[in-house]
Amino acid sequence: MKKITKILIANRGEIAIRIMRTCREMGISTVAVFSDADRTSMHVRYADEAYNIGPASSILSYLKSDKIIEVAKNCHADAIHPGYGFLSENAAFARECAENDIIFIGPSPEVIDQMGNKISARLTMIAAGVPVVPGTTESVKTEEEAIETIRQIGLPVMVKASAGGGGKGMRLITDQNEIASSVRSARSEALSSFGNDSVYIEKYISSPHHIEFQILGDQHGNVLHLFERECSVQRRHQKMLEETPSPLMTPELRLKMGGYAVEAARAVNYAGAGTIEFLVDNDLNFYFLEMNTRLQVEHPITERVTGIDLVKQQILVAEGHPLSFTQEQLKQTGHAIECRIYAEDSDNNFMPNPGKIHNITEPLGFGVRTDGYVYEGYEIPIHYDSMISKLIVWAENRTEAIERMKRALYEYKITGVKTSIKFLERIMDTPDFRSGNYDTNFIEKNKEILHSPSKCSELTEDMVIIATYIEYLDQLNISQTSKVMYPAKNRWKKYTYQKNFERL
Amino acid sequence: MSIEIKLDKRIASVEILKQFENLLEIKVDDKIYQIDLMHNDEGIFSILANGRSYNIELVPQPKPKHYTAYTLYDSYDLEVIDAEARYLRNRTGSAQMLSVNTIMSPMPGKVVKIPVAVGDVVKKGDTLITISAMKMESEYKSPMDGIIAIIHVTEGCTVEANQILIEIE
Repeated sequence: MKKITKILIANRGEIAIRIMRTCREMGISTVAVFSDADRTSMHVRYADEAYNIGPASSILSYLKSDKIIEVAKNCHADAIHPGYGFLSENAAFARECAENDIIFIGPSPEVIDQMGNKISARLTMIAAGVPVVPGTTESVKTEEEAIETIRQIGLPVMVKASAGGGGKGMRLITDQNEIASSVRSARSEALSSFGNDSVYIEKYISSPHHIEFQILGDQHGNVLHLFERECSVQRRHQKMLEETPSPLMTPELRLKMGGYAVEAARAVNYAGAGTIEFLVDNDLNFYFLEMNTRLQVEHPITERVTGIDLVKQQILVAEGHPLSFTQEQLKQTGHAIECRIYAEDSDNNFMPNPGKIHNITEPLGFGVRTDGYVYEGYEIPIHYDSMISKLIVWAENRTEAIERMKRALYEYKITGVKTSIKFLERIMDTPDFRSGNYDTNFIEKNKEILHSPSKCSELTEDMVIIATYIEYLDQLNISQTSKVMYPAKNRWKKYTYQKNFERL
Repeated sequence: MSIEIKLDKRIASVEILKQFENLLEIKVDDKIYQIDLMHNDEGIFSILANGRSYNIELVPQPKPKHYTAYTLYDSYDLEVIDAEARYLRNRTGSAQMLSVNTIMSPMPGKVVKIPVAVGDVVKKGDTLITISAMKMESEYKSPMDGIIAIIHVTEGCTVEANQILIEIE
């Protein structure tokens, strides 16, 4: 068993900080790596050591495995934690780590390969007896073959890139006449995005629920699950909000799905933290969708209801420890919800909105956790993901958790960039969400409510106008002596002065 | 001196009637408010009106006299129209037409692709430029039929918000 004393985190943003927090608690030193665009990023400030690994573009920095391994060797890091995204599901990188005697905190390269390719993952699951969405078990090479397969499965179908992810190379076909053109465009998009034009075809399940199971395995053959996460609130195939337990779940279904999730992980001798994603229809039929061989963005809600630090478990498993608890000892306590705060304009097709953070006030109080990385004066780079933080609340039950989330969103103030906070608050007030009766079609179905113009009063508008007027007069007074009346006496001016003074 | 403030599409005139330190009597259009106003150098405003508390943050924009205001969940674009602004406005009133045949970037980002060249004939709805920001690509389409007159940027270069990218004749 090898004790890990120093970890290089091959990532940035909130997840890098989240991993470093656990390292600090475990007495492990932390190494940050950063691109030219991230010199001022919080993960650099939080780490014990930090090294530049190249230009802003992630292909030349955060995806540059040889450079990262070189840094790890030079600073004598025992292990590399890849976080999520970037190199986290890159088998070649995991292999390179092993070759350089560095522990890759994640599953073995073979497992990443096997589960990363969607077609081989489907085959593995079928062999393990896990239900999968009806469709092809091998990639479809020609258009004729595609058309024949679709005839067999029956419309509607989904055409997906076998090397894909993030909604790229994906086409929904509902009409007989669209088959040829959709297959063609899916293949060309797959080729340009992933360098591989192989696609597979699946039965399309209309407005399913997206439910995933957190699993944890050690190097001694123990595998268990840490219950489900409901991830059906999505826009552009990207999650906006997750909760656990799922409002759809029954104890029987949980037992069954959890059993299959463990079975699926056991089938590949899974070691570390991973996620089995399922599609569930309204009749509670469920199908394996894919496996993520890494930590998920939404892992904190599982941590909150189980009380288990998943990053700590990842590190312990990587050191070779057996899991210190059994399936029977695990319990889901209360209800947790996570909201993803994106720098985006929710009312304008969720357009990203990078920029400089002017002021930020994070919510506090009982049952509230924020995992973020931006601070006042920080300029969010245009090169990376638009997620700036995650807000996680816990309460005894779902109703209380929704109220708490509303309160926390109310407290959360970020100025300088547009964020998804207002949109998330409207979700909390949407009847379908409150009743728990929602699926992946939720945002589309409720767009009237979610995009309704804010019922902001004229009174508020007037107050904003007054504030602008006073600010304008203030500016005027600085540049010229004028006969304009002085604005309200500025008692806070002294406060700012003092604050600045104390910073020195 | 008459000052007008433009909030999104609304234009309101504002006037201070009375003042005692943080207590103000102020007129917005035809409404008179008695308010208690406190603010600091960072643009944070706390206004009490009729017992209701308003928390407003003002962020100055690069253009002078332009602000973005943030309330609890909403943001507003504001512009102060004083005598100087009004003068400039009248003088450049005709230049406003310019925006119809230009493509501007609504956000900072990177130019991924420009599928057109100067002199190309384009139709309304043709894609003229693709900009990427935060892993998302957006295509900007021609607002009119015309000919590409000037291209201010090249593929791979970084653009600011509200930068003019392409002009069409």
